[in-house]
Formats: sequence, C-alpha cells, structure tokens
Amino acid sequence: MTSEATGETKFSDRVAISRRMRLQDAAFFWISWGSAAAVVLVLLGVLGSLVWDALPAFRAFGLPFVWTEQWNPAKGQFGAAAPIFGTLVTSIVAMVIGVPISFGIAVFLTEICPKPLRRPIGIAVELLAGIPSIIYGLWGFFVLAPVMQRVVQPFLINTLGDVPGLGILFSGAPYGIGMLTAGVVLAVMILPFITSVTRDVFNTVPVMLRESAYGMGMTTWEVVRYIIIPYTRLGLVGGVMLGLGRALGETMAVTFVIGNSHRISASLMAPATTISAAIANEFTEATTGIYTSSLVALGLILFFITFSVLALAKWLIGRAEKF
Amino acid sequence: MPGAIAARRYRRNRIAIGFSLLAAAFGLFFLGAILWTLFWNGISAINLSIFTKMTPPPGSSGGLANAIFGSVAMTFTAIVIATPIGILAGTYLSEYARDSKLAEAARFVNDVLLSAPSIIVSLFVYAILVVPFGHFSAWSGAVALAVIALPVINRTTQDMLSLVPNALREAAAALGAPRWKAMTAVIYRSAYSGILTGVLLAVARISGETAPLLFTALSNQYWTSDMSQPMANLPVVIFQFAMSPYDDWQRLAWGGALIITVAILALNILARSLAGRRSS
Repeated sequence: MTSEATGETKFSDRVAISRRMRLQDAAFFWISWGSAAAVVLVLLGVLGSLVWDALPAFRAFGLPFVWTEQWNPAKGQFGAAAPIFGTLVTSIVAMVIGVPISFGIAVFLTEICPKPLRRPIGIAVELLAGIPSIIYGLWGFFVLAPVMQRVVQPFLINTLGDVPGLGILFSGAPYGIGMLTAGVVLAVMILPFITSVTRDVFNTVPVMLRESAYGMGMTTWEVVRYIIIPYTRLGLVGGVMLGLGRALGETMAVTFVIGNSHRISASLMAPATTISAAIANEFTEATTGIYTSSLVALGLILFFITFSVLALAKWLIGRAEKF
Repeated sequence: MPGAIAARRYRRNRIAIGFSLLAAAFGLFFLGAILWTLFWNGISAINLSIFTKMTPPPGSSGGLANAIFGSVAMTFTAIVIATPIGILAGTYLSEYARDSKLAEAARFVNDVLLSAPSIIVSLFVYAILVVPFGHFSAWSGAVALAVIALPVINRTTQDMLSLVPNALREAAAALGAPRWKAMTAVIYRSAYSGILTGVLLAVARISGETAPLLFTALSNQYWTSDMSQPMANLPVVIFQFAMSPYDDWQRLAWGGALIITVAILALNILARSLAGRRSS
C-alpha cells in the first residue's frame, strides 16, 4: 500500500524534525541561561577586580585605612576617612532637604492637585528623573554655587552661625562650593526620583480606604497622616533608601561643587570630597601603584555602602509587598 | 460655627496643605530653573558649526562634531552588546526559572548591578580592558556603557514577559510548538513594544552617563572613528570644558548639555508613547 509507505516517510521526517526542534530548544535554553549567568559574572567581576586592585592599599595601610584622615599623595600616605565622611554628610544633607519636599510634592500630586493637572505634572516629574546627573552638576557649578556664596551662606552664617551647638555647622567663610552646596545639588537631583516612587506608593492605597476616611469627616492632612502614611510606611522607607543609594554613589553632580579637599571639617560650608568625586578627580592623575590602589579601595568601600543600603531597601520593600 | 477641636483640625489641615503646596512650588521651581538655565545658556551655543566643527583648542571657536559622533558610536555599540544579553537573561529569569531560588538570587544580583555607582563600573572596565591593552579606547567605553545598560534591559524584559498571559504560552504549547518557537514567534511578539521601551530607556540612561567613560574612552581632541583609540564623547567633553576657565569652552559645554538633554527627553517621550500605546 502506497499510502502506508508515504506515512512511514512522513513519520521518519517527523522524528527528524522533533529531534532538531529538541536541539534548538536546548540551544535556546542554554543561551538564555548563559546570558543570565553573564549578568551574575559581571557583578562578580566588578567585585573581584575591585578587591584585587584594592589589596595593595589594604596590605599597606591595613584596616586603619578606613578611619585615617590623612591623604598625602606626595608622601604615599592614604586614608579613606575624609571621602567617607564627605559622602555620608552630603547624602544626609540631600536627604534632609530632598525627602520632605518630595513627600510634599507627592501629597500634592495624589491628594490636592486638580485631576486634569495630575498626569501632566506627574509625567514632567518622571521626565526630569531621566535627566543625566552632569546637567545637575553643571547647574550647581554655574548657577547655584555663586548664589550660595553671595546670598545663602552669608545669611546662614549670620543667623544660624550664632546658635550654640548648631552654629558650628554654619561657621567659616562662604566659599560657595562645599558639602552644603553638593548636598543641595544632590537633593534637587533625587527630588524627581523620590517623588515618583512616593507617588506610586501613595497610589497603592485602596480607594475604598481613602474614601471611607474622607467619609468619616477626616481632613486631607489627617487622611495622609493616619491612613496613607501608615499604610505605605515600608514602601516609603524603601523608596527613600533607593534615593539615598543614588545620592551616595553619585559622581558628576557632586564633583563640580564639592571642592575636592581631603579634610574633615564640622562646618557644612567647608570644601570636602566624596568617594566618587575623589576617584573621578584623581584616578587619571594617580601615578604610583599605591595611589591608584587606594582610590580603588575607596571604590570598594563605596560599593559596600551602596550595597548595604540597597539590600536594606529591598528587604523593606519585600516586607511591604507581603502586607 | 465649628467647635474648638474642629477649628484646630482645620487649622492643622491648612498648615499641612500649605506646606505641601509650598514644597511642590519649591521643587518644581528648582527643576524649572535648571531647565531654564540650560535652555538659556545652551541655545546661544547651538548653531550649525557645533554639529560640523571639531572640539577647539582653548581660545578659538569650534564645535562638538567629534564628541557627538563618539557618543552616538559608543552608545550604539553598547546597546548592540547589551540588548541580546539583557533580553535573553530576562527571558531565562522570567520564563525558565520563575520560582527557583537561584533565579531569585540572580534577580537580586541584577538589582545590585542596576544601582551600583557608575564610577565603579568605570574602575572595573579600566581594570579588564584598559590596563591589559595599555591605552584608553572607545571599545572599553562602549563596554562600560553596556554594563550600565544590561541590568536595565534585563529588568524591563522580566517585567514585560511577566505581563504576557499564560494562556498564550499554553496555546502555543497546545499547537505543538517547541518552547523556543513559542518564545520567538508568540511571546516576544506580544511583549515587543514593552521590551523596545526598555531598550529605549536604556539608551536614554547611558547616553548621558559621564562617570563610566572617564577612565575608559577618556576623550580626544580630534575626529576619530577608530574604536580602539580614545574617543571624544559629549559627557566627558562637557565635564572638561565646563571646568575650564575659557568662555568659548564653557559655552560649548552648555550647548552640548542642551543637545544631550533634548535627545534624552525625546527618547523618554518616545518610550513613553510606545508604552502608552500598548496599555490603551
């Protein structure tokens, strides 16, 4: 019978096709597996190369590298305390200024703003989050720093500078550049980011919950304070931490206005340096091996700081999602 | 006539709303001020010669042609490297290993990479591509940008694939399609605009990145299309020119900053309209 014969060839064809498809399937699986592995490898590579290149510095200076202030390329003496201090202080200044304003904008966008304006302003804020940080640095250098020097800093020195205790933060000469200016630039930079995260988190509050609160006769502020913030607490902290991670690792917005001075001063007006600014300014100038290695060691410390902040943020957001 | 408690509550509400309005006005004012300064200073530097002439030595006029070309070339190369790896990695994490512990770890690693300070990426690429070859090169700049773009594309691919309804996968399987065929012919197609949005956002992200290029591509005063040489690029040129004391250079820096910002805003709007079309 001929039909049986053709059926048989078809069957063997089908075996061949299915074998080929199984091969292609396996190939696709392993290629995508390899790509996922490549991502992991890149991170391990980053970590590995940092540790490897930082070893000479840690071998030479030991753990005291982390809390030594001295940074003297001519003598080959290096310590990370000043850049770590500058990184933390500028980021704290940025958060102190940026977080309340971001919350204010987010409350405005979710509760107060007239409905037709919400989307356009929300989109504008999100677009601003995409502007590269060098633009913020440029603005800080050419516009903000002169204003700080001529107006804001003399004002702060004359008013807060005389308050006992607090005054030490606002003492010294108005240089224009320094930790305060860098903190303000960072605050403006993370503003759109934290605002859009906060707004998204605020919008997760069920409409029913919000409306019942208003129905009970609560004022807008009471709804925000007693319903929205408690409901979104963990997500908010997570969003703030993500913003903090950005501020800590930021290079270009800070490098322009920080002043690049390896000194720890109590005054916020003093020029200082941050880890990323020190690397950006000095890495190509570093001539000796120990100099380069010390800068990479700074990078390693920065990596650990931002990693811990991110891990904490993830953990908080993960807990928020479980509720 | 409200009672004393109600009056206090209303007063408190007015103060809070007042603060919120003030914060919004303050924040939007600053962001507006930045854009305004950028346009004001940038627009006066924009003319034909900025696109046709090379970066000048101090004190003479010129343009940014070589830097614009370098930025485009390196961004393009970086996206060509990062897109296939990012999409395939996202495919693995979202399709093949959705619930495994190992994939969870890989997703976390991706998030770490996503938020790693970009200057650290520069140090990494310097160590693996600049030191061994003995000189700065556009290739290493492109690789550094690819390392930044990779986690962005990976993440959006995961998110977009998880939005594809399972019924599509089951329908493809019921037709006897092998998994790779179902992926390429059905699932990628339905997530196409979302993944493209992710790639566009990655382009927008890396085209303004400065720190990863500082120790990799460096910069170059002259025109070069040789990727194994140091290559001029907009962000690093802006950085160098802005910090210089020369007026001509500073004006070019503003012009370059405006070009980058307009390009990035355009990319973001394009990505957004693509995403908007999908959801509507």
